[in-house]
Amino acid sequence: MTTIQEFAGYPPTWCPGCGNWPIGQAIKKALVDLGYSPDKVVIVFGVGCSGNMNDFVNAYAIHSLHGRALPNAIGVKLANHRLPVIAIVGDGDCYGEGGNHFLHACRGNHDITVLVHDNSVYGLTTGQSAPTSPKGFKSKSTPQGMIEIPINPLALALTQGATFVAQAFSGDLIHLIEIIKLAIRHRGFSLVNILQPCITFNKVNTYEYYFQRTYKLSLDHTKDDYRLALKKCLENNEEKYPLGIIYQVEKPTFHDQLPQFSDDVPLIEKEKFKDLDRLINLFQ
Amino acid sequence: MATLSVKIGGEAGFGIMTTGLLFSKVAARSGYHIVDYIEYPSLIRGGHNAYEITFSDQPITALKKQVDFLVCLNEDTFNKQRHLLHSESAVIFDGDEFNFEAPFIKVKVPFKKIIDELKGKVVMKNTIALGALLALVGGNLVILDDLIREQFLKKGEKVIFFNQSFAHAGFNFVKENYSHLIKDYLKERESKEAQLVLSGNDSFSLAAVAADCRLYASYPMTPSSSVLSTLASWQSETKMIVRHAEDEISVINTALGASFAGVRSAVGTSGGGFSLMVESISFAGVAEIPIVIFLASRPGPATGMPTWTEQGDLLFACFAGHGEFPKIVLAPGDQEEMLELTLKAFDLTDYYQTPVIVLSDMYLSEGHRSLRKKKVEEILFQYHVNRGKLNLNGTTSLPSSLPRNFLRYQVTDDGISERLIPGTSGFFYQANSYEHLEDGHTTEEAKPRKDQVDKRNRKWITYLARDFFLPKFYGSQEAEIVFVSWGANKGTILEAQRLLRDKGLTTGFYHFTHLYPLDREKVRQLFSSNKRYILVENNSWAQFGKLLAMETGVIVEEKILRYDGRPIEVGDIFGFFS
Repeated sequence: MTTIQEFAGYPPTWCPGCGNWPIGQAIKKALVDLGYSPDKVVIVFGVGCSGNMNDFVNAYAIHSLHGRALPNAIGVKLANHRLPVIAIVGDGDCYGEGGNHFLHACRGNHDITVLVHDNSVYGLTTGQSAPTSPKGFKSKSTPQGMIEIPINPLALALTQGATFVAQAFSGDLIHLIEIIKLAIRHRGFSLVNILQPCITFNKVNTYEYYFQRTYKLSLDHTKDDYRLALKKCLENNEEKYPLGIIYQVEKPTFHDQLPQFSDDVPLIEKEKFKDLDRLINLFQ
Repeated sequence: MATLSVKIGGEAGFGIMTTGLLFSKVAARSGYHIVDYIEYPSLIRGGHNAYEITFSDQPITALKKQVDFLVCLNEDTFNKQRHLLHSESAVIFDGDEFNFEAPFIKVKVPFKKIIDELKGKVVMKNTIALGALLALVGGNLVILDDLIREQFLKKGEKVIFFNQSFAHAGFNFVKENYSHLIKDYLKERESKEAQLVLSGNDSFSLAAVAADCRLYASYPMTPSSSVLSTLASWQSETKMIVRHAEDEISVINTALGASFAGVRSAVGTSGGGFSLMVESISFAGVAEIPIVIFLASRPGPATGMPTWTEQGDLLFACFAGHGEFPKIVLAPGDQEEMLELTLKAFDLTDYYQTPVIVLSDMYLSEGHRSLRKKKVEEILFQYHVNRGKLNLNGTTSLPSSLPRNFLRYQVTDDGISERLIPGTSGFFYQANSYEHLEDGHTTEEAKPRKDQVDKRNRKWITYLARDFFLPKFYGSQEAEIVFVSWGANKGTILEAQRLLRDKGLTTGFYHFTHLYPLDREKVRQLFSSNKRYILVENNSWAQFGKLLAMETGVIVEEKILRYDGRPIEVGDIFGFFS
């Protein structure tokens, strides 16, 4: 049995009261509850306040480039599909800089868990607008107000093929832990969009804001109903935020569908290919 | 026999590439040496494709410019290629389609009529033409039959016979109507060794498999694309994961993820895709994640001339990536060196835990050479994987009861730290794109920063002492004129040297393969003040000349440069002296 202490790295450097604190706690608690130890899990961090968790959680990890955590995570999974692979990223990181990777990772149903810290702002670069910022949002980079409408990550993931789409709120730790655990347990691409106030640079999407506008999906919410899920995902557009697993179905993962893994032996453990003669003869 | 050349031209989409390669293979199986190359525009149908093959019973290294046998699948071919013909050249064409008044030997083969008689499709013109060409040069039809059989094996006997019948028709037509022109240039040689016909991309693909590369990621981009399709076609056998990702940024980051997790990984691209990868190359440098990057150049800037050739990315390859980190750039000069240097690249990237670029260009990547099969087997089978300080069996230091932080970036004398496969019990570590401490944690402190920079830089010192190769020298050590070049110009320069020697001019030639970094002292010693050095490069900036000056202080004033999208020709070098 592992303990939270085993996963605890350096003391975090987040602002007091930042939503990253409970998310960090929830991730560690979820890993402990699932029986993992730091030597049996791979985490890929993006770059941003969320990615800074790299130093605060012990694991085999990559602190990637901004936006590129998902392809790194996919590569790790392809090399060793027995290891659980988690990407810890931010909204600007995953939906902006890495947006293309995000939608293609959904399409592939790669068996990775993507935990997005969605604070609707760029924190680490001190307060510019994000792809998730509300229309009209005034920030250092949009002093006249944001012109674009915010991205809807849930609907994007759902429509591009993600097999697990969930939303959680950093203000509800117990619920967040449960959702993260279920996301990691899910076989296939899982997204948890974690609503998180940035107390320093986002004066709009505050704790108060989310307390008033989030609600938990009822216990009898049908998780495999695509149309219902889409309806729920689109509620984000109306600033009404469902919390919980909006959509979940079982489908073959990317690596399940590769004939190379029909023997279930991870790439890293396979025997070296020996029949070079046949390939050489192709050129005769 | 003399060295001869054939050129097969026609509209894009009519199987020119397949036909040309079949001729190269017939020649190689008959015991002849070949060099081939294809010119084609960046489109799928229409436009002009031309496949040229130079063959000889003696070893050859370059294309012959003049065309001895021209196969015209349309009139356009004749008009575009006629300036390469001489009075003894034979032209195979359909006299019902067009005619010409010129002093060349006409071999009229009624392609259209034969197609109608055999109820074939227009695209079978090329098979008739190939049969006709083969008859004219005295080739063995059985060998072509074998090749057609191998090509259509999966489609069954009927398809095989059907396709063979077109080759036979062309062959027999020439036998019956032009017997007086038939020579025995391609007569099957009695003492022949088994040969392979390999393009540079084929060589890279074979060597990647032999090197135990287990993940190859790529986004299609000419002229690297055939590596992607070749490795993909083998994956059910080799078990390699071949991933065509959404863009080149995903390509390299997938490969880096897999490499971090412990499998040998590579990516392939051309200049534009390479540009997208550059930030991630820097990431690989600081995080010390091995990666082989196959960069097959074409003329830039931007989309440039996609299906043509240039050595315009050398300096970009050497300096790609922000910040300072070691990188190794290797450039094979031909298909054989591509085998050797690709194998070496996988070892070097594992050993030095830093990016290694294998630099090619369209001419090398898509052109073919015949190689002795024994030689290829020798290179591939004698190779043994060396993964350097990757500890596959845990680590020498025993784990404590609780997993602890592994010193992934431990400061060492040679600059290289031990690497563990993630999942190894008792430890954990992070590969960090930020500057970091020995244990991988992020740092902004002055001393550990400097220690890590010094550590990474020491990899180059180790490399120069352990793995750097000086250029190969060809020709006479006494020669006053010495060519300096790299990459695919090699074969052309060797041929030019031979021709110049026949004219009484002996020359030397330094062929560089280990382009970056260069060993300042060792390279300087190669150059003496009383010789005449001439750079030969397929670009307009003399990029290797600049690199040489920067890295070693050696300045080469005289230059032969070509940058019109065509490879350096023997005439470019020969003409320099007249």
